[in-house]
Parts: sequence; C-alpha cells; structure tokens
Amino acid sequence: MTGVRVAVDVGGTFTDVCIFDDDTKQMRVTKVPSTPHDPMIAVMNGVERGEIDLSEVSLFSHGTTVATNALITRNFPVAALVTTKGFRDVIEIRDGTKDDLWDAYNDVSGPYIKRRDRFEVTERIDYSGRTVTPLDEEEARTLARLLQRRGVKTIAVCFLNSYANAAHETRMREILEQEIPEATVSTSAEILPEIFEYDRFNTAVANAVLAPLVSGYVNRLAGRLKDDGYAGDLLLLHSGGGSMTPRMVEKYPVRLAASGIAAGAISAKHIAQQCGYENAVSLDMGGTSTDIALVADNELRVTKEWQVEYGHPIIFPSIEVLTIGAGGGSLAHIDIAGSLRNGPQSAGADPGPACYETGGTQPTNTDANVVLGRLGTSLAGGVKQLNGELSKEAITRVIAEPLGMELAEAAQAIVSVANANMADAVRLISIRRGYDPRDFALLAFGGAGALHGADVARELNIPTVVVPPSPGVTSAMGCLLVDIRHDLSQMYTGLASAADAEDLESSFTALETEASDRLRHEGVADENALLQRQVSMRYLGQWRSMQVPMGSGPGALEEAVRTFHEQHEREFAFRQDDAPVEIYQLHLAAVGKIPKPSFRPSPLDATSPGEPAERRPVYFGGSGWVDTPVYHRDALPAGANFPGPAIINQLDSTTVVPPHTRAEIDEWLNIRIHLEEVTP
Amino acid sequence: MNPTAPTLPPGTLDRAHVDAPATTLDPVTTLDPVTFEVLKNAFATSVDLMSEQILRTCYSFVIYSRDFSSALCDAQGNTVMQGSGDIAVHVGTLHFQCKAVLEQFPDDIHPGDVFAINDPYRGGTHFNDVSFIRPIFADGEIIAFAQNKGHWADIGGNVPGSFDVNAKEHFGEGLRITPVRVWSRGVFLRDVAQLLTSNTRAPEQAMGDLHAQSEATAVCEREVLRLAERYGTGTVKTALQETQDYVERTVRRRLETLPRGTWETVDYIDADPGKGEGLVPIKIRLTLDGEGIHYDLAGSAPVVETFLNSGYGTTFSAIYAGTKTFFPDVPLNSGFYAAVTADIGPEGTVVNAGWPYAVTGFCSGPYEKLMNGIFEIWSQIMPERAMACAFNLEYLLVGGRDARREEKPYFMWYDWMAGGWGGRASKDGSSATAPVFGPGLAVQPLEGQERLSPVLTTVHQIAVDSGGPGRFRGGCGIEKGGILTDAESTVMSYCCDRARSITWGIEGGLPSIPHGVWLNRDTEDERFLGSNFSSVPIQPGDAFVRPSAGGGGYGDPLDRTAEEVLEDVIDGYVSVARAAADYGVVITPVDPELDDYRIEASETRAARAEIRSGRRAWLEADPAEIAEGYRLGEIDMLDVIRRHGVILDWGTGELFETTTAQYRALMARRSSAHWKE
Repeated sequence: MTGVRVAVDVGGTFTDVCIFDDDTKQMRVTKVPSTPHDPMIAVMNGVERGEIDLSEVSLFSHGTTVATNALITRNFPVAALVTTKGFRDVIEIRDGTKDDLWDAYNDVSGPYIKRRDRFEVTERIDYSGRTVTPLDEEEARTLARLLQRRGVKTIAVCFLNSYANAAHETRMREILEQEIPEATVSTSAEILPEIFEYDRFNTAVANAVLAPLVSGYVNRLAGRLKDDGYAGDLLLLHSGGGSMTPRMVEKYPVRLAASGIAAGAISAKHIAQQCGYENAVSLDMGGTSTDIALVADNELRVTKEWQVEYGHPIIFPSIEVLTIGAGGGSLAHIDIAGSLRNGPQSAGADPGPACYETGGTQPTNTDANVVLGRLGTSLAGGVKQLNGELSKEAITRVIAEPLGMELAEAAQAIVSVANANMADAVRLISIRRGYDPRDFALLAFGGAGALHGADVARELNIPTVVVPPSPGVTSAMGCLLVDIRHDLSQMYTGLASAADAEDLESSFTALETEASDRLRHEGVADENALLQRQVSMRYLGQWRSMQVPMGSGPGALEEAVRTFHEQHEREFAFRQDDAPVEIYQLHLAAVGKIPKPSFRPSPLDATSPGEPAERRPVYFGGSGWVDTPVYHRDALPAGANFPGPAIINQLDSTTVVPPHTRAEIDEWLNIRIHLEEVTP
Repeated sequence: MNPTAPTLPPGTLDRAHVDAPATTLDPVTTLDPVTFEVLKNAFATSVDLMSEQILRTCYSFVIYSRDFSSALCDAQGNTVMQGSGDIAVHVGTLHFQCKAVLEQFPDDIHPGDVFAINDPYRGGTHFNDVSFIRPIFADGEIIAFAQNKGHWADIGGNVPGSFDVNAKEHFGEGLRITPVRVWSRGVFLRDVAQLLTSNTRAPEQAMGDLHAQSEATAVCEREVLRLAERYGTGTVKTALQETQDYVERTVRRRLETLPRGTWETVDYIDADPGKGEGLVPIKIRLTLDGEGIHYDLAGSAPVVETFLNSGYGTTFSAIYAGTKTFFPDVPLNSGFYAAVTADIGPEGTVVNAGWPYAVTGFCSGPYEKLMNGIFEIWSQIMPERAMACAFNLEYLLVGGRDARREEKPYFMWYDWMAGGWGGRASKDGSSATAPVFGPGLAVQPLEGQERLSPVLTTVHQIAVDSGGPGRFRGGCGIEKGGILTDAESTVMSYCCDRARSITWGIEGGLPSIPHGVWLNRDTEDERFLGSNFSSVPIQPGDAFVRPSAGGGGYGDPLDRTAEEVLEDVIDGYVSVARAAADYGVVITPVDPELDDYRIEASETRAARAEIRSGRRAWLEADPAEIAEGYRLGEIDMLDVIRRHGVILDWGTGELFETTTAQYRALMARRSSAHWKE
C-alpha cells in the first residue's frame, strides 16, 4: 500500500490528526479544536490544516466519541422498545443494583428508552426454544401502526429467550419493516445471541438508540470524504480494538460505544511490540483522569463486562481500560481527619491549577510538579506561562502549614500520593489477573504520564518506562494501527467431556460462514481474513466463565480444556483438575488484516544527548534539590544514552528522568528509562 | 418522632464531602502522611482484590449476585478495611467473627491455617453466610487476618435454601458452624470440610465455594505481605491501627458540627404468631452528645415465634449500616464502630435474640426496621439527606423435583426482587432498586432461572401506583409472577414482612402498598398467602404473583405539581384513578396512544380542596365499616390504606383492630401531623 494514511481521533477538547506517508515513512501530527455540536467540522478542519490531499489517501481511519457522548448525555432521537408482554420494564429494573452503595442520594441513571416508549406484544418462548404462546400477529401489526403514528424511526425488538429461538423477533421485525419501511430495527438475538435478558436487551436498546445518530454521522463523513476525493473505505475504530466500515456500523452502531477509549490502548500495544516487550501496562494520564490498559503476551486484555455508565451493560468485547480520577488537575487536600488526600476531585480546566492563573486556589498535581521544578513555568513552547508563586502559595496554605512540612516536602508528598494511587490502580488491573507487574514495561503517555511514569514504575518495581515520541497524540496513532474485526458468539452449554466434536465443529463452521460473509461485505480479500475460535468454559457449578483460544481438528477441545485449567490457575491461584469442565459459549473473532504502516527506524549514531538547553534545580524525593539538565526532546538524537536526573521538554509533554535511572533514545525515538540501577 | 432537645438550624449542618478547614490539626498519625495514605489505600486494594476473585470463582448463585463481603482485620480481630462493594448486611459483623476465632484458638493459630465460622450467636448473620478467615503472619507473629464471608445457596435444615419461616429455634434451620479449622498449616482437612459440605443440599457446590473463598483470602494475604516487606512489619502494624483511628476521628469531627440531642422512633414487624394480631415494636433512641453516636433499643419487643429475630451481630450491623448511609464517604472499619455505640439490651428480645432462638429471617425482620428507623431519625438531623421508608427485603422460595428431566433432580427457585426506596427531600425515591439490606445485591436474570427450574415467569414489571404518594413520590416497586410447569412434590415459602406494617411515608407522605403472595389470583381458587409462610404445597399450573413495595412518600402529596403527576401518568407509574385519589390531580386521557393527556385545572382545584378538608376525618372513620366496604368491593385497597389507615387481611378482608390502631398512630405522626389545613 502506498500513499498517505490518515487517522483522526476526536477527543473532548482536541481533534488529533496523524498523517503517515508510506513513501517517506514519516508521521506528522496536527491538532485542531474539537467541535462537539458537529464533530465532522473538526475532522475536516484537521484534514485542511494537515494539508491532506484526500485523493492520495490510501486509508482513513477514525476514532470517535460520538456514540459515547450520546449515551452519556441521552441526546438521541426517540427510540421504541417492543418486548414480550409483561416485560416492558426489564431495562428499567436492570439487576436493581446501585453503584454507590452508601449514598442514598446518588442514583443509577435511567434507562435509554423511557417507559412511555416501551411496548408489549403477546408471545412467549421458553428456555428450550419451544413456543409457549405464538406471536399475536394482529396485535403486532396494530402496534407497528401505532409506532408509525408516533413517528418512531428506530426500534429495538427484545423477546424473552430469543437467544434460543429468534423466530418471533424475526417475524416482528418483518412486520415493523412492512409498516414503517424507513425504520431501523435492531433485534436482540441478532445483536447479541446470548442468555440473560437484561444484558441482551440493553445491548440491543443501546444499538437502537445510537443507530440514527451514529450511522448518520458516519455516513455523512464517509460521503464528504468521498466527495473530496477519498476512494477507500472509512474505517471506524470500535470498542473491541478493531475497526469496521460504515456498512457494518449501520447495523452495529453500539460497537462504537467505547471507540475513543480503545485507541490509546491500541497504541500501547503497538509501542510495546515495537520495543519488544510482550507485557506492558499503559498509563495515559491527562488533566482529570488516567486510563490504564494492559498488554499481556502481546495482546490487549479484552472484557465483555463493561458499560459507558453504571447499570447499562453493553455485552460486546471491549478493550479493558481502567479509568481513575488522577490527573494533572487532581486536587490535593487534607481531609477532616487530618489525612493527606489526592483526587479524585479535579480542578479541571476551570478553575484549573493555581499556577494557571485562571481562578484556581487549591493545589493540584500540576502545582506540585511546578514547585518541585519538574515542570517548567513555560509550556507548549512558550505559549502558556505558569505562575509558580501561586503554586507555592496554594501548597503552603493547604498542605505544608497544616502538616508542619517544608514547601518542597509538601509538594513531594502530593506527588507521592498521586503516584501511589496510580500504582494501586495498576495493581488492581494486573494482579487480579495473576500478572506480576515486575514482568511489565510501563508505557507513559498523555499530557502528564511522562511526568509521573518513572516514579509509578518504581512503586511497582517495574524496570522500564517507555515514553513515545508524541505522548499527547498517542490515541490518534492507535487509529492508524487497526485491523477490521468482528466478534461473534453463540450459546453452547454442556460438559466438555460429553461434547460431540462434530456438533461443535458445525457450530463453529456456521459462525465462520457468517463472519466470512461480514468480512467480504466489507471488502476484505479472503487471503487477508483471519478467523480465530475461542470457547468460554467454567468448572461445572461456577457462575463466571473464562474465554480461552481453541484450534480446530482432533484434540482441539482437549487442548482448550488444558488451557482453561492453566489460565484458571494463573488468574485465581488454584485449579481443580478433577472437577468437570463445562462449555458455556463459543466465540469467533474475524479479523480482516490491513497492512500496517512500516515506521522507519532512526540510525543509532549518537551516544551523547548533547548540551542541555538549560539547567535548573529540581527536587527529587530522597535526593532533595539537584541541579538538573533540561533537554529539548527534538534535539535528542537516537542512541543518546545518559543518566538521570534529567528533564526532557517537548511541545505536548514533559518527561522526568529521576536520579538513579538511565535514559536512552531508541531507534523509534522513544525515551526508555531504565530503573534497574535503582537502589530501593 | 419526638426530638427531645433543641436542634440547630439546618444551615449549620455539615455537608458531605466538605472538609473542615485544616488549620489547627494536632499531630494525628505517627506515620508520615504519605506512607499512611499509601498503606490505607493499599489495604483497600488488598480487600477489593479478594472480592474480585470471589466474584469470579464462586459456585453459589447468591454469592454471584453479590451477597458476600471481604475484610482485612488486625491481629486483635478488629476490622481495618471492608470491601468497597460489600453487601451492607455484613457490615459490622466481620470483626465479631474474627474475634470468635481468636477466642476459640488462643495461641493455636499457625501460618497456613484457615478457619470457617457462620455462628449467628457469635456475631454472625445467618447460617447461610459462611466466613473463611486466614491469619497473616509476618516476622513470626500474626499481624492481620483476611476474611471472606459468602452466602451459600443451602446450608441444610428443614427447607431447601435453609430459610424455614416456621422455625422457632435454630436446630432445624441449618448447620451451625462454630469456629473450626479447615486448613491446618497449609494442609487441607478434607474430613472436616466434608462434614461441613455434606450437611447441605448441594455438597459439590458448597465444596467449590469453600475452596474459592479460602483461596480468595490468600490474595489478601499476599498483598499484605508485600506491604510488610516493602514498608516493614512494624509500619504496617501501625498503619492497621491508624487506619481505624483515622475513621473514628473522621466521624467524631463530623459530629462537632451536628446538633446535640435525643431523637426516637418506632417501627414494626407485622405480627408475632405466638401472640395474635398486633404490630411488634422495634424502638430506637439516638443521642448525639458531641462525643459519639449512641443508640438505645430499650422497649423493643420480646423474641417472636418465627425466625424474624435478630442476633446481636446483625443488630449492630443494621445500626452501623443505617448510620453509615448518612456518612457515605467514610470508610468502614472498627474505627467507625468505636464512634457508634449501642445498648441493645439483654438477650431474649427481637433485636438481641440469643441462643437458641431462630434468627435466619432477621433480614426481613428487625434488620430492615432498624435501618429505616435510623434513616427517619437522621432525616431530622440532616434534613437535606432525608428519606422515607424503603421497601422490605423479601425472598420467595419454590422447591421440589424438576420433572423436566428424567432423574427429577431437586430444584430450588429462590427469588428476591428489587423495589422502591423512599421519597427524598429534593427528589422522588429510587425505583426498582436492590434492598437497603444490600444495594449491590443483584436480582437474577429470569432466563437463567427458567433453565434451572420448572417455573415460567409470567410478569416482571413495575407495579403501578406502588410508589408512596408525596411531594416527592416513593420509588416504584415491582410485580413478579410465575407458573409452576413440570414439577413434583413442590412447596412454596416466603420470607418477607410489611403486609401490615406497610412501608410508610414521612413529612406528610403516604404509604406504599402491602407485601404478600397471591396464589391463582382472579380465579375461583384465589388465595392470599400473606407475607410470611412456609411449605405451602403447589401443583403444576398454579400461578403466583407478588409485588415488592415502593418507597414511602416524602411530603404532602397535595404539594406535588399537577405537571409532575401528569408525567408519572404518561409513563404509567401512576394510574389516572390514583392521580385523582392520591394527589387530587384530575387528568383526562385524550389520546393515550400518543401520550396525549389533559390536566383539568378547575376539577383538580376542587378535588384537592375536597381531599384537604376531608382527609383528617377519613383517617378516623370506623375501621369496621371500612373493612366491610373492602369486602363488598366498594373501597379500593389503596384507599383503605392511604385514606383510612386501616389494616386488613388482604385476602379475606378481616379487620385487624389492634394493628389498625397502631398503624393509624404511626400515620398521625408521620403523615397527617405534617399536613397544612
């Protein structure tokens, strides 16, 4: 593939554009302000600012928060739910749980479709797929006409036990399509053919409410790109870390629900691979929060248990990202019992950290970094000036005086608590899977990740920190690196020991046929299609199941059972070889390979970082104030290798290289900080 | 409720999450602030990791639905940290269980040991809740204990699921596990484990949970040992204590800004079958003296002749959990328990039953009454966080032989519902929410239930008009029904309450609806089985349905705007008829299919005036006449309750005179006393 590849990531504040030239193998980056009322404007502004000739573009990929934002704000056109008589409230009752167990004033948000827009029809199928009550066609048609009168354009059809027999849902869809030809109908068994009514209904409902908005946006953008000369398919990044074309988005818009969040994680995987680390954890730290994702054995952790908002599950595989309330703007404070706390409350952009001079008077992590000299008072190449005196005043007043500490000591305490909180979050996402953080590399990015990365790594005994060349636009780069991917599943319950190999094979074959059709529909050539079987298993009697890869042919199931025992032991520290193993679901991942950009390594000529741009005193816990060189990142050549302490400045980030570490610039221009020399 | 001391104006109250100015702090910890904060948070992580693991490896569907808890206790058994997602009902019982192990095995606890306990007479909850406790050793001494408590689906006894409503003593309820060792110095004691699990109806499942829970405690051990290695054993021990001191200090500092005085209230269990009709009182008196939070339960009834009694562990749990609701951001540990004291009186009462009285049903009995009574009291102290009564936890059990399969295995359809929470000072109550007993307790997906049991669910929907009327309406309850299909030898039992002591409103708000199971409703064979019954035989084809109550209303329903009532009518939360009867809002359906309704302004004014002038007298109407009107079908059930405060057997229409007098007194205090003329 030659030409130009373009990846666009729309964030809340900025829309980032990555442009990769296949001939020169160089990547450029452009940032334009986001336009929340119509994200396409920012996308096209980015195209213009990046001086992109769309007719030369070979691949245009896009990560978008359109779906996420619509779900959070409930800002979508009216949708209707058609469901089994007696069950219109399944999506309102949910599982009844509260996220905040103790605050009786903190409620779970309401369902995506109001009660007045939920309708019932007489029908019932039992657990085995047998019809208990046939679909009342007359009633169904009357209802369809009513929905037509109500002007509904998107409808979710969710019947009980439809995962076992979808005939009624399918017939209901036909009737709706006859009566309201222009409507989009999402049936639950087609969106997610899995047991448990609430999970399946809600996933289908999320699909229905997003359909007009997301397909509308995607089709509009695709049309505009085409008009402007782009000949290829627009690729949309989905929550599972793959991408899909507008043709599939039309059917499965809910798959874009976590599109934006997945992009950073995909970059993390790429960087880890580039550097040769099989295991890595990414710390994407921004102004108000930090996203943490895990790459284990070269793969991103994927989960099916996630939601944009508590109580509204979307049961599609999604990259597992843990978000915690720790960012540059997180507020340090002393609580009522005299304990030093950090976050999760944040000064955000308004009023902002004290040093921003925008009205903030409470100390933040940013203020602490300024006081410690880790962060300079001139950011973004001099565009933004920080007032360190205000940082000092805030920390002195709120932290240092009440605790009887020196100013620098207090600022260090703020940073240390922030680092410990992030380290705890990394522990939660890694240790609970049975991984030891010491086997991992830490990838630090986002605006503030590189300020804290080395210290967090030290907390976790992680030996190496990697800071990519453009830490502030890592998500956009993630969009450049995706394949087309679909995830299909099917219920299949029974003991593994009693499973009929032929039956299993034919079930997988059926999934593979469906998957191949989807890939073909998206224009993927057969030689680029890759189908991966997986199977969910559990010890008979357990409630949760675990997904493990499965091959094909004789012995494949036995091998999968062996893998299950091993994985159970790794994640939970015990296995039960004598316990019967039950198969719960079959899964198929269908990947349409897209050739990746090949980045050009830089020759590792240099060894010295050259002369620092300046020197300034920087405070490091354990060492006190140290005269520290400050480098410009652009001036650091590949191969440069130097001991900490050092500060490395660039337009969108600052990297702290603490004492007792060594930094090197690798051939991909990543900064790698090695902590082995640390004496704890 | 009668505040017997002057209260400060609400404006002086502490608001949650706002910290006091930190200018004059004494040195409060011996650890440096960073180490303390780091260790405190790391303790929380170590406990949450334990919870995470149990959720992923458990066998009991009750544990899977989040009926479990985890704790890190110190060397004395005091709780240092509880899991952030723990079920409320275990709060404040885990330290009792850990201390029981310490008492039982002084100087006989070794590395690699794991102990089991479920004894409600030693601070436990009920027999189904089995704790596993692992000592954590560092430098040759115990520095802490890791504990996981989970609800086993069955623990033996007379009935499947081990909830025997008719039990008066514990012997038929299930297996009582006093502290017992199941691992000794790393060696699994298979004989002991087998004895425990063989006394349940699902031995393999119980054995699976025994392993899963024990292994989960090892996760916490590993984390604490990592901390000890990193920071030193001494520092970790200090932090274990100072984390408790921190919480106690937090609560005491909050108290400095709260009014002082004494408040009291009473709530009721429906009846004591040993005594005939009449509500069973649970009295709560709270004193704030600036030093601590003190409860006194004197005046509560003697033990009842059902299993709706509470042991001391769960009574303390209700007190802690109820209070904690008004301090939502304070971590839970023994520091909290130190700041909250209670005199629960001598053994032999419904709130301190003692051996051998049956206590398994505490959750539907005193537990929930204590929590709601405490909510009512604190609603006066922190009016901006006020909440009316929430629905009562309920469990319906249908058990027998599943005839869909040749071998006709045992089945157990063990079902609980979400319901409505009380109306609040600034918004309606939360609808279709898990009980206050455990707001994280998930209701089960019926598609899962239908695979496992021969019960076809016929309806699972919001119960219209179930929210107690008020300026802010109570949250809506649920209605769930089922038909028994292919089954043999099947019986049904119900653990519930509040068919008579109906979920109440405050500040002028009105009650919700009564609990109770209806068998074959609207047929010749219709029977109202009430809210507490055991082993009623049912046949294939029998249909049953029961509601969960909504929350009580907050404030005078006549103050709710007509527009808000209209919105409720459009969504079907409130019927057109009850909009008029409860709120005096007259609404004409113009074209309901298109959500077109009209508020009749002048008729609404007239209706509201009529209610305003008549309602005090309605509450004094002759109960016998009201009962007669109900029996004749002339007076609607909700009018009997909400207008007249009369309590009947909802099946036969029989009048409960004593109960009615008690309920009317309750409504006079909570509802009519707050109505303006």
